[in-house]
Amino acid sequence: MARPLGPVRMRRTNYVTLFIGAVLCLFIIYFLSQSGSSTGSHSSAHKHRPARPAPKSTVQHIRRDVQRFNLNQVTITGDPVANREKILILTPMARFYQDYWDNLMKLNYPHELITLGFILPKNKEGNAATSALQAAITKAQKGPAKERFRRVIIERQDFEPPLSSQDESERHKLQNQKERRASMSRARNSLLFTTLGPDTSWVLWLDADIVETPRTLIQDLASHDKPVVVPNCFQRYTGDDGKDAERAYDFNSWQDSVTAQEMAAKMGNDDLLLEGYAELPTYRTLMAYMEMEDPTDTRAEVPLDGVGGTALMVRAEVHRDGAMFPPFPFYHLIETEGFAKMAKRLGYQSTGLPNYKVRVSREQSQSSVLNLNRH
Amino acid sequence: MATLATTPSTSLPTVAAVAALFGLFVWPGGGPLLSVFSLGLFSDNADVLLDTVRYYDLTNVQGTARGWEREERILLCVPLRDAEPHLNMMFSHLRNFTYPHHLIDLAFLVSDSKDRTLDVLVERLEDLQADEDPKQPYGEIQIIEKDFGQKVNQDVESRHGFAAQASRRKLMAQARNWLLSAALRPYHSWVYWRDVDVETAPFTILEDLMRHNKDVIVPNVWRPLPDWLGGEQPYDLNSWQESETALALADTLDEDAVIVEGYAEYATWRPHLAYLRDPYGDPDMEMDIDGVGGVSILAKARVFRSGVHFPAFSFEKHAETEGFGKMAKRMQYSVVGLPHYTIWHLYEPSVDDIKHMEEMEEERKQKEKEEKEKEEREKKAKDAFGSTSEQWEKDKEQMKDLETQEGKKSTGPEGSKMSNDNSKDSAEKVKAKSAESKNKGKMADA
Repeated sequence: MARPLGPVRMRRTNYVTLFIGAVLCLFIIYFLSQSGSSTGSHSSAHKHRPARPAPKSTVQHIRRDVQRFNLNQVTITGDPVANREKILILTPMARFYQDYWDNLMKLNYPHELITLGFILPKNKEGNAATSALQAAITKAQKGPAKERFRRVIIERQDFEPPLSSQDESERHKLQNQKERRASMSRARNSLLFTTLGPDTSWVLWLDADIVETPRTLIQDLASHDKPVVVPNCFQRYTGDDGKDAERAYDFNSWQDSVTAQEMAAKMGNDDLLLEGYAELPTYRTLMAYMEMEDPTDTRAEVPLDGVGGTALMVRAEVHRDGAMFPPFPFYHLIETEGFAKMAKRLGYQSTGLPNYKVRVSREQSQSSVLNLNRH
Repeated sequence: MATLATTPSTSLPTVAAVAALFGLFVWPGGGPLLSVFSLGLFSDNADVLLDTVRYYDLTNVQGTARGWEREERILLCVPLRDAEPHLNMMFSHLRNFTYPHHLIDLAFLVSDSKDRTLDVLVERLEDLQADEDPKQPYGEIQIIEKDFGQKVNQDVESRHGFAAQASRRKLMAQARNWLLSAALRPYHSWVYWRDVDVETAPFTILEDLMRHNKDVIVPNVWRPLPDWLGGEQPYDLNSWQESETALALADTLDEDAVIVEGYAEYATWRPHLAYLRDPYGDPDMEMDIDGVGGVSILAKARVFRSGVHFPAFSFEKHAETEGFGKMAKRMQYSVVGLPHYTIWHLYEPSVDDIKHMEEMEEERKQKEKEEKEKEEREKKAKDAFGSTSEQWEKDKEQMKDLETQEGKKSTGPEGSKMSNDNSKDSAEKVKAKSAESKNKGKMADA
C-alpha cells in the first residue's frame, strides 16, 4: 500500500476517459455537421433554390404578408359587447394577489375579446409574482375555451424600481412619491405603447391589488361612453369594534381647487403638487369623499381634473392621440393625475363615478391609510 | 445519448455530467445549433408558453451601437398622405438599406389620401415581399388606415404658410402617435421615422446613426435647388438648439401657442443644425439639440416606451417633432444632431418658384419664337432676292484665281500659301509662322 496513488490511478482510467472523449467529440461533430446541413432546408419558403450557406442569423427569412388595418372601422361605443369591441386590460404588477386573478376571471365580458397585459419589475419580488402569474395564466389558457383570453402579454421592466420595499408606509412618504410614481409612469407607458395594437377599442387599467369589482365592470364603465372613466376605489377593513367597514382608498381622483392652482403657480417647474399629504393642503374636492344626493345611483357622474389608476377606463383613441402617464412633473402633476391633465390638453374630459365602487385588497396595512388621511 | 449512458465505464458520473452539459447546450434550443451560435441571446427573448401567451424581457431590447450584429429589430415608421408620386422613390430607398431587412418591421399610416397612395403602396409592398433576392423582404409589415379629417391642403404653399402651421403640426403629431402606438411591439429595440419625400440618403444611414448610440439622433436635411435658386438650401429647420431669446419668447405666449421655426413671426435666434453644415466637415460630429425635425429620426424604442411622443398639443410651446425633442430632453434622454451628415429632401417648387419657372419658360419660348421668325424672314429674303451667297462664292473663286496668278508672278511659295489660306485665323497663323522663321517672314513682308 506504499505505492504512490496518483500516476497509477491516472493510467488506469486514462483509456476509458480517452475513449469517452473521442465518442463525445464524434457526437459533437456529428451534431454540428447535421445542424449545419439542415439549416439549408430550414430557410423556409424557397426550397427550390440551391442550398445556400447557413446564415449567421438564427432568424429565418420568413416572407411575411402585408397586414392591413383600417382604424376608421374600429368602433368605440357604449355597447362594446354588441359591437364586438376588443379591450386591453393592463396591470402593472409587483405582487400577485390570487383574489385579483379570481376577480378578473369572473368578469363576464367575452374573454375572447380581452387581451391582458402585465408588466413586472425585474427583482426578487417581481420574479415571484411572475411565476405565480404565469401559473395562473397557464391554467386559465388551458382551461375551458370560454374562459380563455384572446391573448396574454407579460413584460419585465427594463429599469429598476426606485424602492425595493412594497411596505405601504414607506411607499407613501412624500419624498419617495416622485420617484415611485415616475417609475410607475414608465412602467405604465412601456406596457401601454407595446401592447395597444391596431384593433383595440378600450383600455382598462386595473391595479394588481383590486380584488373586488362588479362582474359587469367593463360593460358598466363603457356604457357611460366617456373618454376617461374612473370608478371610486374603497378598501374593506375590520374596525376596532371587530365589525367590517370600508374606507376611501384612492385620493388621486379629484376636482381642482383655487388653492391648488395658486400653490401650483408659485411652484418651480419640477415641483409636484401631490394629493393626500398634510404638507400640501390643496383643498381639492376628492371623489373619495364626495357625497351624492342619491348614494344608490351608481350611474352618477362628476367631472374630474385628476384621476387615480386603481381602475381606469380609457377610450383607446385618447392614448393613441398621445395621452400617457407623464413620468415628469406635467403642470405639477405626475402619473395618472398628469394623464388626466394631458388628456384634457388633447380635448378629453375625465369623468368620475362616485357611487360605483371597486375594492382594493384588505391586506394593505392600517397605518398607511392613516398616513393618507390628511385633514 | 442512450449509447453513452450504457457505455461500460468506471467513470460513470463524469460521463453523466458531460452528457448533461452536452444535452443542456444542444437539445433545448429546439432548432439545431440555435443556442450555440446565438449564445441564447435571441431564444429567451420571446418564450412561448402557450399559443396565446407571450413573455418579453424589455432589458433585452435597449438598443446598442451595433444593433445589426445583435439582431436588434427596428420599427420603420412612415406617415403617408397623398404620397403616390413619391412611392417609387421611397421603395428604391427601401431596397437599398444595408441594415438586414428581416430585422426591420415596416409600419405605414395612410391618412386622408385622395390619390391612389394605398393601392400603389400595397402593390409595391407585395412585390417587395415576393422579391427573388431573399435579402430583400422585410419583417412584419403593417399598413394602417386612419382619416383625421385633414382640413389643410398638402400643397407646398399651404403646408408651409405660417398661419396653418400650428394646427397642421398638431394633426401631423396625431397621425404619428396613432402610427407608433399601433405598431410598436415589445421586441423592437429601435424606431426609425422616415419621410416619404427623401430624395437622396446614404444606404447605410441606419447603421451610421445607430453607431452613435444616442437615444434620439437626426442627420442634417438639405434640399437641392435649380441653379437659378442657388443649387442647394437647408430644408429642415426643426432641428435646433434652444436659445435664451426663444425661452423668453415662450414665456410671453399663451398656453396653446406653438412656436414654429423658419418664420419671421418668431425670431428665436436659435442655432439651427441645418445652417451649421460644412460639406467637408466630419460627418460623425455631434451637436446637442432640443428640437428635432421629423424627416429622418432614429430613436431607441425605450424612448417611446417610456412615454415620449409627438405632442398634439402645445408642450412647452412646441408641437410634433419639436415637442418630441423637448419631451425627450425633459425625460433626460440624449438628443443629438449630425450637422455634417446630410440627406437630401426632394425639391418641390413653391408657388413662387413655379411662377418664376413659368416666366422663364415663357421667356425661352419667346426667344425661340423670335429666332424662328428671324430664320423665316431670312428665308423669305433669300427666296425673294435669289441666292446672294452663290454670287459671292463665284466672286470669291474668281478673286482667288486672280490672287494665285499674281502671287506666282511676284513672290515665292510663302506668299502663295498665305493668300491660299481662307480660314478665319489665317492672320494669326501667319504671325506664328513669321515668328518661327523671321528671315522668311521678312522676305514675305518685303
